[in-house]
Amino acid sequence: MQSYGDETRSVAALSLPSRIVICVAASAVAVAVAIHLAMMFLHVAPLNTLSKSQGKLIGDYVYPEYEQNWKLFAPNPLQQNIAVQVRAELRTRDGGLRATGWTDLTARDGQAIHHNLLPSHFQQNQLRRGWENYLSSHNEQNRPNGARGELAERYIRRIVMQRMGAEWAEGGQAERIQVRSQTTPVSPPPWSTEKVSDKPEFRVLPWWQVTAADLPEGATTK
Amino acid sequence: MTETRLEQAVGRGFRLVTDRAMAPYQTAVVRIGFAATWLLFLLREWPHRAVLYGPDGPWSLGMARRMLDGNHAFSVLTWSDGRGWFECVYLLAIVAAALLMVGWRTRTMSVLFMIGVLSLQNRSIFIGDGGDNIIHLMSMYLVLTRCGQVWSLDARRAKRAAARNAAASADSGAEGAPGRDLPGVLLWTVLGLALATAELLGCHGLGWFEDGPFPNLGWGLALWILWAGHGLWWAANRYAPGEPRTVLDVLAKLVHNGTLLVIMVEVCLVYATAGWYKIQGSRWQDGTAVYYPMHLDYFSPWPELSRLLGDSGLLVMLLTYGTVIVQVAFPFTLFNRRLKNVLLVAMICEHLSIAFLLGLPFFSLAMIAADAVFLPTNFLTWLSARISALRRRLFSRGGPARPAAAPGGDEPEARTHGSGGGHTLVG
Repeated sequence: MQSYGDETRSVAALSLPSRIVICVAASAVAVAVAIHLAMMFLHVAPLNTLSKSQGKLIGDYVYPEYEQNWKLFAPNPLQQNIAVQVRAELRTRDGGLRATGWTDLTARDGQAIHHNLLPSHFQQNQLRRGWENYLSSHNEQNRPNGARGELAERYIRRIVMQRMGAEWAEGGQAERIQVRSQTTPVSPPPWSTEKVSDKPEFRVLPWWQVTAADLPEGATTK
Repeated sequence: MTETRLEQAVGRGFRLVTDRAMAPYQTAVVRIGFAATWLLFLLREWPHRAVLYGPDGPWSLGMARRMLDGNHAFSVLTWSDGRGWFECVYLLAIVAAALLMVGWRTRTMSVLFMIGVLSLQNRSIFIGDGGDNIIHLMSMYLVLTRCGQVWSLDARRAKRAAARNAAASADSGAEGAPGRDLPGVLLWTVLGLALATAELLGCHGLGWFEDGPFPNLGWGLALWILWAGHGLWWAANRYAPGEPRTVLDVLAKLVHNGTLLVIMVEVCLVYATAGWYKIQGSRWQDGTAVYYPMHLDYFSPWPELSRLLGDSGLLVMLLTYGTVIVQVAFPFTLFNRRLKNVLLVAMICEHLSIAFLLGLPFFSLAMIAADAVFLPTNFLTWLSARISALRRRLFSRGGPARPAAAPGGDEPEARTHGSGGGHTLVG
């Protein structure tokens, strides 16, 4: 089934039906390749006359399987460290409410990446891309843009509970959680005369009530 | 006069793409490179597999289903909620990647490899990065290329069968028909049954005319076409070795060569996009861009080293400008063989340093595998000869090692000295 022939029999020596089949196939392959390459080009190129007028056609072709983004560190590389921090309000065993301190989840990712030859997507991408996804699907007032925003928020809640759930459970039942991001500019290179404020900026999200859907599969809110 | 010249050109082009499956070594390297990258990635993530793609992940299967309902991406992981199904798919993805790497049943394994890649990546679309993106694309392209012509167990088996045939025909005077290939038939039957079962159970994403790799071609139909194609090729080999087999062979070469072009242009698009967008950035203009990624918490596994490199403004600027120049220039250098090879070396070195410095080993490996489609055939056959010699020295103790065979040995003719513009691009 796998042996590749290397016949050098010329196509011209074949019968007419065979030649017709091959010619049709050659044209079909040529057309398919041309369409595919044109779509890939228009997808990665900046928005232009053609992609503006044919946006839907291009999108239908490219999404979902040919989606790509090669603006690697472009047009400008990210110049801020964005840390995602969380805290919770715990219902203690004696019935009181207690707020925990902030835990820096990004710092924990950083520790796992430190001096690691093979960082895992778990630490390098999950929270980082989850947060990017949250920001891109919410407006400044933290309102979701459509169903995607809802999923993005659920994702953040579940990342938080998955990472902190066991730790918090020692102090009580997590009833509400709060997430904030701390953005710190990367200090300019030592030889540069640029001045950048090194004061971190915070984006604080509202408190979220923890629901059963925020917990890892199988876990229940007692 | 001009018309006949045009006709001649078309005729030459037609002969070129129907004559042979081009770049056998390059496509083999791309196959080995991507299969190895994905295999190593899956093994590395083994401890985290259930959190990244499985039932323990914060991106739950329910959320994944809602996402896939919206974007119509393909994933067999949505077919069942069970942990067993997930473990099964993850294991099969590992096995398919390993077998594709060594080239055992390359055509079949390339399909299973693609299903593994698409299923895992589409299950958790917010887990990947640029490396996953290029693996995703290449896994689909590899299905349509004859990437097992050399450096594969398939090629070795074909060579042995040919030798056996030659010996048999020398004995009896008649050419023996190709063997029945029982493992191949079994594999084909099992996979056909599996696909039929999935269709009968109404599994998600196997439509015939919608949500597939090409407009109006669903994943269900696409997989059936591949399956039927493999069967047809086997039947033609066994029962119709004359013209039908030749026609199928030419069709496969056509598809291979078309897809090879797609792969090459895709790599150019990656670099062109990366380069041209960088030119517009102020940090790439003022020569400081390279400094910043090295000082992000997520991309600085070796902060001491990053600090050391970042201390020299001149070095950072040279790296920044060099990166942009190489990326923008690369597609244009393809028309000059020597220049292309120089840039190729530069890009591979840059990716190796990114692998280490920014902690992106799998991204870098994937990009190097993609670059490999432009490696010169001379270099690849030389490498092949060195590896064969090394293997002989290691595995044949006693007696002096036989002199190394000519580069390439019995493998398809390398054709590095052929004329025509094509060889600058692929050779």
